[in-house]
Amino acid sequence: MAPYTNIPLSPAELSYLYTSLSQTPPIRPDGRAPTQFRPLVAETDILPSANGSARICFADGTEAIVGVKAEVEQSRVSGAATGQVESEGVLGLGTGGVGDVDMDEEDGDEEATRAGKGEEGWVEVAIEIPGMRDDDALPVFLSAMLTEALLADGELKDRLWINRRFHWRLYIDILLLSQPLSYPLPLLSLTTHLALLSTRIPALISEKDEDPLFNDDWEASRFLYPQSKTASGGHRKPPVTLLMLSVSENVIADPSREELAVADAVVAISVAPTTGLNAESAYKTVALRTVDPPSRLTGAGVPTALNTTAGGTSLSAAEALALREKDQGQTVWRPPRGGVKRAMIAKMIKMVTEKGGVGQEVLEGLAGVET
Amino acid sequence: MQADRRRINAPAGGTAAPVFTFTGNEDLLQRPTRTRKADEHRKIFLRTKVVPSASGSAYYEIPPAKSTSSNGNLVPAASNLKITCTVHGPRPLPRNAAFSPNLLLSTHVKFAPFATRQRRGYIRDASERDLGVHLETALRGVIIGERWPKSGCEVVITVLEGEEDGWWGDQQQGSEKSGGWGMMSVLAGCITVASAALIDAGIDCVDMVSGGTAALVRNPESKTEEVVLDPSPPEHEIKAACVVAYLQSRDEITEMWMKGEVGEGTEFLTDQAVKSAMMTRTVLVEAVKEGLEVEGAVESFNGAPKAAKGKGKDVDMTD
Repeated sequence: MAPYTNIPLSPAELSYLYTSLSQTPPIRPDGRAPTQFRPLVAETDILPSANGSARICFADGTEAIVGVKAEVEQSRVSGAATGQVESEGVLGLGTGGVGDVDMDEEDGDEEATRAGKGEEGWVEVAIEIPGMRDDDALPVFLSAMLTEALLADGELKDRLWINRRFHWRLYIDILLLSQPLSYPLPLLSLTTHLALLSTRIPALISEKDEDPLFNDDWEASRFLYPQSKTASGGHRKPPVTLLMLSVSENVIADPSREELAVADAVVAISVAPTTGLNAESAYKTVALRTVDPPSRLTGAGVPTALNTTAGGTSLSAAEALALREKDQGQTVWRPPRGGVKRAMIAKMIKMVTEKGGVGQEVLEGLAGVET
Repeated sequence: MQADRRRINAPAGGTAAPVFTFTGNEDLLQRPTRTRKADEHRKIFLRTKVVPSASGSAYYEIPPAKSTSSNGNLVPAASNLKITCTVHGPRPLPRNAAFSPNLLLSTHVKFAPFATRQRRGYIRDASERDLGVHLETALRGVIIGERWPKSGCEVVITVLEGEEDGWWGDQQQGSEKSGGWGMMSVLAGCITVASAALIDAGIDCVDMVSGGTAALVRNPESKTEEVVLDPSPPEHEIKAACVVAYLQSRDEITEMWMKGEVGEGTEFLTDQAVKSAMMTRTVLVEAVKEGLEVEGAVESFNGAPKAAKGKGKDVDMTD
């Protein structure tokens, strides 16, 4: 992850940052509370030629645009041997009579006919980051992370199903307009969330397995994420991916670039609102990944005893190594080693998913954005 | 991504071994079932020092299980896993490279074109690059990088046979459920084999890292959900899965990848994945010891090395 390797901070500065972030409560360089998000500017439906779009600008100057386009595509014909059987019997015309009725009915029935028919390849996420090739590690990692969160509940891909011969293919194009100053995952994820919420798909007027024909009135088009309430009274919403960071015993949300430079561990957690009735918390985890913290690439400091300009003695290599190991990063900065405790990951998940947690704060904030 | 124009590529669509034994009776096609217990890992074969020219190398295999639906089909029902790993370095960075205070680790995961039913190209695709990033995260945490300033180290993994994402019979019947679950078992294998190769190369690590997977699966008969260790995707209907890279002596996780509809059970799923990683570690420890004994035997006597003590012995996987 190239742009984070050259962190312009000295070992002394890193050590200072680490100590202040491990206080209780942590003291962050920009004075935020541990779970507080940076302020952001957001607008949706900005691109007239896309099915849905959004723009978000963070206070640190990073900005992203997402455009969602939907195209009708012919579905791949399933296995030749069994394909013939299908069209004659079990799934084909024979049951067509039942299917006739629910074309004009409510969402609920239509969702049931579509359940399990979507394919994961129908959603395509492309990320463009200035100064990086599209096959660099960072864009590939980010798009895999966002795609797996979107597909986790299986509802989105089912909504792309039109009939047995055709489906929608959804292209989600994410453009980072500024340089990636901090790790751009939350920014891109929030923008994608808004763009998908504003995505509309033309209403279908053809029936069953005919070639699809759509209503050309844009006013009649339907939202990809229906605005109607679910059984539990919540809205269906695309997931958001949030970055959580741990420094000694503290957990911090939405880390800035400087905070990432001293992180013990960074975890990206994707959450979506729960749709079930008897759920304890309002949000559920749909995907989780640890992110390689850039702090592991920082240079270690030199203990005073080794610094010949400050009165230290020059020691042999073995003695110097023993001295550094004995110091264990207590007096000078040393890049973190090892991983993160299980309890810490559980704590991060809880902070994001609990009622009144970070996930709720972000999603409610984004719900206030007018389309 | 640009197309590969330097070679003559095979057709883009996958090729599948022909199935000859159809007698018109569809019941012949039976989904393989899990024969081991829910908390049991498949047997692992692991050996270090397989590539003499590399500074460290290892080979990992989950050997083919006895087929549960052996009705004369030539195509095996469940998939296996065969991974080789070579480690090159630590070696000096090229002269024109920028200064680095730490060991620069680069990981490279590639599926052989014939590794899965769907053919892979020669150029790494997005999922392979993604696996490489996961592996790098897992290894970066254990390597003590500051002991090798201005050096680089490459971990190259070739997957010779990869876990499938689902049962091939489903593909034949057109109800393909991808989900990428096979990738998670592959990642757990990659972590373990890379760890063995790193130790073989003699690179300082804080602990031995081992990979483990667990999945939340739905039992189609009883309609209940349970958590199983080391899932083989053809045998299960997977709802969610979790991979961890676990350091047992520090009780820490350097890499975690979870996806799917877990609901409230994230903590339990993680604990089960850790349990699976602990089981893998027992094999990893024995393989490393065996490698050291072979090395010791060769160094002490430059004739025929005496047979290492634990060689060819099965290890009981305990946690």
